[in-house]
Amino acid sequence: MAKKEYSFELKSSLSELDTLCQNVEMYGKKIGLSKKFIFEINLALDELFTNIISYGYEDNSEHIIKITITPNKDELCLCIEDDGVPFNPSEFESADIACSVENCRIGGLGIHIIKKLMDEICYQRCGSKNLLTLKKKLSRKK
Amino acid sequence: MEINEEIQNGINIFKLNGRLDSNTSQGFEKQVFQAISDGSKSMIIDFKDLDYISSAGLRVILKATKAIKREDGQIMLCSMQDYVKEVFEIAGFDSFLPIVGTMDDALNAF
Repeated sequence: MAKKEYSFELKSSLSELDTLCQNVEMYGKKIGLSKKFIFEINLALDELFTNIISYGYEDNSEHIIKITITPNKDELCLCIEDDGVPFNPSEFESADIACSVENCRIGGLGIHIIKKLMDEICYQRCGSKNLLTLKKKLSRKK
Repeated sequence: MEINEEIQNGINIFKLNGRLDSNTSQGFEKQVFQAISDGSKSMIIDFKDLDYISSAGLRVILKATKAIKREDGQIMLCSMQDYVKEVFEIAGFDSFLPIVGTMDDALNAF
């Protein structure tokens, strides 16, 4: 799968989730990803994007979040760039897996989901930017 | 996302259509909690036409389940598509939420 990378930008507003989903679906179909694979990368990017919008900014001005999808030979690479406060999800303690309705703790659920869906998470802080790279293996099973 | 609400034999049924994410979950939360404060103790959430759910959606489902349980009521979740069910499984929510296969199964639980 040697196709070109694809980049798009989102504004820091929850309504941009629809744009995120449309971009991922359109590009995923174009490079021949399965419906399940598209669903999963959509979910991981949604959780990250929602996290950035919810906790990343200390002002009310508009910010841009840039997403780049790169198909490599046997994995898909997702890169998310934002200018929010430094945050490294790979160091974040995942939520305990819930065991009952009463005891369920829901903090950190989004990050738990990202970790489960992705094979590799790599964080870098570059100047005023968070650069997060997520990798997911392309399954050979049909 | 579209939400169709109907009442059948005293059970509030919410049929979800589209995407339950951080953009749409607040509207759904409002509607569910309105029903609870109006006295509903029996609820079914029909996922048949729901294509997508994120952790924001899971949170609302969990909050609603807690609220109904506090009132000694009952909630049932039914007809999930595979991908949506998988999100509940990843979160570990399938182990304690009442998820059943079909609407008939859900109705028979009351």
